[in-house]
Amino acid sequence: MNYIWNFQDVFDNWWALAIGAAGTLRLFVVCLVLGMGLGLIIALGKRSRNRPIRWLSTAFVEFFRNTPVLVQILWFYYALPIIAPIEIGPFLAAILGISLNSAAYSAEIYRGGIQSIEPGQWEAARAIGMSGLQTLRRVILPQAIRRIIPALTNRGVEIFKMTTLASVVAYVELLQQGKLIASLNYNPLEVYTVIAAIFLIILYPIVRLTYALERHLARSD
Amino acid sequence: MYEWDFSPVLAEGGFLLVGFRNTLFLTATALSGGLVVGLLLAFARLSHRRWLNVPAGIVIEVFRTTPPLVQLFWFYFGLPIVLSIEMTPFLAASLTFMIQSGAFFAEIFRAGIVSIERGQWEAANAIGMTYNQCMRRVILPQAVKRMFPSMMERSIELMKTTTLVATVSYADLLFQANELAQKTFRPLEVFTVVALIYFVSISFISFIASRMERRFAKSGEFTP
Repeated sequence: MNYIWNFQDVFDNWWALAIGAAGTLRLFVVCLVLGMGLGLIIALGKRSRNRPIRWLSTAFVEFFRNTPVLVQILWFYYALPIIAPIEIGPFLAAILGISLNSAAYSAEIYRGGIQSIEPGQWEAARAIGMSGLQTLRRVILPQAIRRIIPALTNRGVEIFKMTTLASVVAYVELLQQGKLIASLNYNPLEVYTVIAAIFLIILYPIVRLTYALERHLARSD
Repeated sequence: MYEWDFSPVLAEGGFLLVGFRNTLFLTATALSGGLVVGLLLAFARLSHRRWLNVPAGIVIEVFRTTPPLVQLFWFYFGLPIVLSIEMTPFLAASLTFMIQSGAFFAEIFRAGIVSIERGQWEAANAIGMTYNQCMRRVILPQAVKRMFPSMMERSIELMKTTTLVATVSYADLLFQANELAQKTFRPLEVFTVVALIYFVSISFISFIASRMERRFAKSGEFTP
């Protein structure tokens, strides 16, 4: 119980952590953009009148929501290269796993948001001559997105946390660099404490912001 | 063109089954612990005593906003140093996932308890119930019904999160899959089969959950 904490070795390696943070950030941004963008397309696919498209979108969502994201990353890393004629590195495997998983989750959020808009608005837009896509873009989505911003922000926080899974396929991000520092200096306690603190410092303000947004939206709706 | 061959995987089916059993065992352990931790954290968070609600709030926020894999590494590699104890992968994983899911459950419990109208507390008070009696007899039974959907969702998340223990060499389904892939040189088939096992079992659980939700909804007093 008389362990003396020594953070010196961790701070001496701040450069390695900075490289890791850059890797985390890069992966996060790519997955955020791909996940949220693809999610919207799939949400629209689930509403499509074309049956195969509807069916495929549903199957996609169900499959990616009902399997662990780590299994997906490992599948893309170890299994996909066998059937696909492309080189799949840790970065690409992590992007595929995390973005497709997030796309499935955000698709459900978009769907909920679109459904929450009263059907009367669709009818009104049609009555003044708008096409389906026009209605969606000009009337429905602007309102739906406003309502789902807290849920989407939550998803973003989840994506940020998920990036640590890329360390399993040795992609250079914060946790991977932490493992490296810990194995060189035998100080796992300090290293993982610092890494947890970094995530907390980055994510906590965002989480607070989401709470505030939720309250604000609940009042104004 | 690659030729799929599932026979080496199926021949070692028992190997994967052991992993699946361990996954279920870890999920059940973490879930039962997590529900208790969650309820305690929720009560502490709702308490008017500062020395209870402030620490509870900190635990909840820290475990909700840090990645579960970092928490697992902290408990597995870090904690034994402070406590100078032996740590097994199973113990580290159960502890991590109990507290982590507990933090999420706490928020669900809290929201459920807060959602019950103030009048019920006042009514229970008026007929002479104490705070604890009212909580146990009046508030919780109603709150649990309302919390049910989010609790099921969280439990399913927990089952998926347990795959992380493979990284500290606990022989769960994913770990066994990794071993088998290296033994048989058939990663494509192995990981596909394992993904399907997770898919089928998790879909089954969500199916049961939605059936139960509908029954609760029919029996009234239910807000989605």
